[in-house]
Amino acid sequence: MKAPITMPAAILRKGIPVAELPGDFWTGWIATLTVASLAGLGWLIYSVYFSADTHAEQDSPVWDGELREGEHPAPIWWFWLIFGSLVISVLYLMLYPGLGSHAGALRWSQGGELERSIGAFDNEFGRARRLVAEANIEELSQDRALMASAQRVYDRNCAVCHGYDAKGLTPYFPDLTDDTWQWGGGAEQIEHSIRYGRHAVMVGWLQVVGEDGVDQLADYTLALSRGAAEGHAGRTAWLQFCAACHGPDGTGNPLLGAPNLTHDVYLYGRDIDAIRHSIAVGRNGQMPAFGERLDDTQIRLLVALLTSLSDRSRQGLPASDTLPDPRSDDADHAT
Amino acid sequence: MNAVGLHRKLEENAGLLIFGILFVSAIGGLVQVLPSVMQESLVAPDVGRAPYGPLELTGRDIYIREGCSTCHSQQVRPLLAEIKRYGPYSRAGESAYDRPFLWGSKRTGPDLHRVGGRYTDLWHRLHLLDPRSVVPNSIMPAYPWLGERPAGAAGDIQAKMRALKLLGHPYTEEQIAGAPEALAGMMEVDALVAYLQVLGVAPGGTP
Repeated sequence: MKAPITMPAAILRKGIPVAELPGDFWTGWIATLTVASLAGLGWLIYSVYFSADTHAEQDSPVWDGELREGEHPAPIWWFWLIFGSLVISVLYLMLYPGLGSHAGALRWSQGGELERSIGAFDNEFGRARRLVAEANIEELSQDRALMASAQRVYDRNCAVCHGYDAKGLTPYFPDLTDDTWQWGGGAEQIEHSIRYGRHAVMVGWLQVVGEDGVDQLADYTLALSRGAAEGHAGRTAWLQFCAACHGPDGTGNPLLGAPNLTHDVYLYGRDIDAIRHSIAVGRNGQMPAFGERLDDTQIRLLVALLTSLSDRSRQGLPASDTLPDPRSDDADHAT
Repeated sequence: MNAVGLHRKLEENAGLLIFGILFVSAIGGLVQVLPSVMQESLVAPDVGRAPYGPLELTGRDIYIREGCSTCHSQQVRPLLAEIKRYGPYSRAGESAYDRPFLWGSKRTGPDLHRVGGRYTDLWHRLHLLDPRSVVPNSIMPAYPWLGERPAGAAGDIQAKMRALKLLGHPYTEEQIAGAPEALAGMMEVDALVAYLQVLGVAPGGTP
């Protein structure tokens, strides 16, 4: 079991800090300018309040009998305000990084802060998350609260393609609620699909079989999907070109992601034009890999959610029944 | 001399006043910006990072033209919630070939710095041309014209690459010469998708 947050931890281990402190010359540069600015500001404010030439007013010309130009400083609370800010600045620069490479008395750093929060997260949720990552899929899928968590992981990562209802999007992204799985619907195969992604390549056959061949194979495939391929003239060509992946009987091969063509679930559509296109030009189906984006716990939850959806569909139950509406559920599970 | 005397002197001498204003306003930059610019570790590209290819570069310019950075940031901050949602936090060396950088400051949509490889090209294409076709509750505007305009018409790619080469991007003459060919037959949406797919991904590796 990896740590819940693997990649940033790896970066921290590699020793790439969030922000690098400047070298010697620039430390001197920054420190000198900063201290000089603060000192200059202190002198300015002190000088304005306590050594102002209060006689200047008497030398000023008088307009309208009473208007004259003076040198009165602002009210004294203004002085204390700025003086206080200066004191806070100095304290800040002593406690926190700011003066070049001076790390500050509190040793605070952005990277350290991040590591602390990762540690705190792991302390609070790490044990529970490890339990989930190693738990039995069956048991997980029975736990409503955990499945609500799984639903949130799903919504965040999977729903944009497969839909919030997991029904997919014809003709691009497969339905996850039916019991047809192009790459296999077992827990291990689903986990593999999520973790490493899938890339289904159906090559185009137009160059090989010609227009007539495409027509014949498309017709055979359509007949196959209706269970009416017996004695079809396309059988010879099918055995020669298609059977290697889709099998002699057309039931497909989950190891290659070659779909079963003997039923009515066709990702790209079961009409003659769509089938013709698949055969002539080919198809290129991709599932991105999520092994680097999700941790073991999240993947385990997703596998449990998806196998339960598929099981329910096999039993003829509606998918939504087990699942609370993710947008109205506020149970606070760290996903 | 006290501050009041100094003030009077500055007030009576415009040249001195201008110099004084420039000096005081420069201090912040001299302390904060100059050392960062001079610091090798902050401006050097990450190991293995190459400048954008012609197609990605064109996509980047389309990203700028369409104002994507108005709603999408490209910086994952080093905070627990952000790295859990988006992936590893962004590092300075990852933006070395971004001129200008597109870190952004507002997230009406999600951060995009780690979007590379997250979705398939097909999904991006559908989503850019009509976001509601894949995400029913999306509030992102549709960009249907990206599918109608050739990528090669979105500015002179060779001139762009030469300009960037002047700024230190290591393009070879061969790359520049082959750039128009790389855009041949591509639409703007292809270029933008190509750009999105390399965001936050080191070439030949994971983020």
